[in-house]
Amino acid sequence: MTKILAIVRRELIAYFSSPLAYIVLTAFLLMQGYIFSIIVSFLNNPMTQAMTPLRLFFGGTVFFWLFLLFTVPVITMRLLAEERRSGTIEVLLTSPVTEGQVIAGKFLAALLFYIVLWLPTVIYVALLKQHSSIDLRPVAAGYVGVLLVGFLFLAVGTFTSTLTNNQLIAAILAFAALVGLFSIGLIEQLLVSSSWIRDALGYMNLWTHMDDYAKGIIDTRHVVYELSVGLLFLFLAAKSLEVKKWR
Amino acid sequence: MIEVEGLTKVFVDQPVVDDVSFFVPEGQVLGFLGPNGAGKTTAMRMITAFLPPTAGRIVVAGVDLDVDPVGLRRKVGYLPENVPLYPELRVEEYLRFRAAVEEVPRSEVGDRLAEVSDRCMIQDVRRQVVGTLSKGYRQRVALAGALIHKPAVLILDEPTVGLDPNQIIKVRELIIELGRDHTVVLSTHILPEVEQVCERVAIIDRGRIVADGTPDQLRSRMVGNPRLLVELRGADGDGREALLSLPGVTGVEDRGACSYVVEHAPGSDPREAVFRLAVARGWVLSAMTATQASLEDVFVRLTTREEPPAAEGV
Repeated sequence: MTKILAIVRRELIAYFSSPLAYIVLTAFLLMQGYIFSIIVSFLNNPMTQAMTPLRLFFGGTVFFWLFLLFTVPVITMRLLAEERRSGTIEVLLTSPVTEGQVIAGKFLAALLFYIVLWLPTVIYVALLKQHSSIDLRPVAAGYVGVLLVGFLFLAVGTFTSTLTNNQLIAAILAFAALVGLFSIGLIEQLLVSSSWIRDALGYMNLWTHMDDYAKGIIDTRHVVYELSVGLLFLFLAAKSLEVKKWR
Repeated sequence: MIEVEGLTKVFVDQPVVDDVSFFVPEGQVLGFLGPNGAGKTTAMRMITAFLPPTAGRIVVAGVDLDVDPVGLRRKVGYLPENVPLYPELRVEEYLRFRAAVEEVPRSEVGDRLAEVSDRCMIQDVRRQVVGTLSKGYRQRVALAGALIHKPAVLILDEPTVGLDPNQIIKVRELIIELGRDHTVVLSTHILPEVEQVCERVAIIDRGRIVADGTPDQLRSRMVGNPRLLVELRGADGDGREALLSLPGVTGVEDRGACSYVVEHAPGSDPREAVFRLAVARGWVLSAMTATQASLEDVFVRLTTREEPPAAEGV
């Protein structure tokens, strides 16, 4: 455990000593600020229906998904690709650390960075709470959803980062994989006739998952999907590291 | 301390390391000498449990690679060839990271840090960011990292590559000193380095060990008897006969202009006799130099492609 924590710590230092982290953080805040302004204008409109405005915040807009699809590859691309390029992976894997521990440490660092990304948005919730009567329970569920979808996406990115020693290629692979994973839900809507395929794809529709979370519904099926597919990719990442550690 | 038996690594049906066996007793400094691409790095990566071997057995400090690869990693400190470091960390942060990963107990980290920084002469850069250090410092920081957990065995892959002559001398001195309380395996293609630093040399070519012994042994095995270069002014035609009659001398070659190459049995030293001979005959001894075949000759002879590997060397 100390070893995993040491890896997490080192990875976080690396994140915050590169300008990329600050660019991502800034862009993220800009986008969230924009969405927040939409929410506020909604609330100020007397015609607003009795919907939970914060649904917009959590996956209700296309911005949310676009941003996740672009940001996650940027967060994860460096993780193992850079270790392999610089050869530090050789130092790491000749110390008494297993491939699984390396992946765990790297992934946790990425997840922590992702959480830091979302942390400032709590201010918006607090602001809204002060000036209107919003229900905090669906907001909490929304954050759970953000965390779970992040878990899944970051696991995919961690895996693609083990495949190459070029950060850019790792990012592109992650982006392609995530778009594929996300568009499963869109394919579902294209299928007209109802069939078992449509049902199966329906279970994997991340858009509806996120929408449910934002409504305050934490559906176990969604949680199981995000966690199990995420863990599968982490397992694949560890295996891929084991096989591909030489260049 | 290190036992390697039948070690083989095949990359896409091309053997890179081919049935290599050797034993390094505790406290010895063994040099892997070989041209680029001979398989030194691959062999070292297997001994450090980074690459899994295709076949063969590796035991380091009593830990068998097949039984406990992570346990074996605990025994080994490794400095890879291109000195990989994390450029964004400070030197101290890097060493603390290495200590945590190498399972140094938290209470000992401070002491270990002080000791390795002292040994590797990096105290003055402890607060500096690794990315800003010169190559020489980076090398020593990486070495300090490899030493942090008091490994029984140190594996150094080309530890002086890319350094300037002063830094090379410093790093060599450091390795000699580390050799006093560690078992060390280092690879190099620099011949004087091996002669200076290593007690034993294994010459590797195309994945095989073609010679193994102390630098002196290799030299004499491969090149025959030691030689003296002698200049006797005034000896003219009689020099050869006279020199041949001296005890220990096995052959004399007349090079003309009063200069002779005297071959003598290993262990004998005919220099005094040559001097007395010159005095007795009234010749002027104007030069006398002991020449020894360098390890370079051995190396070139063993690793040149046209020649079949000399049988007596193995």
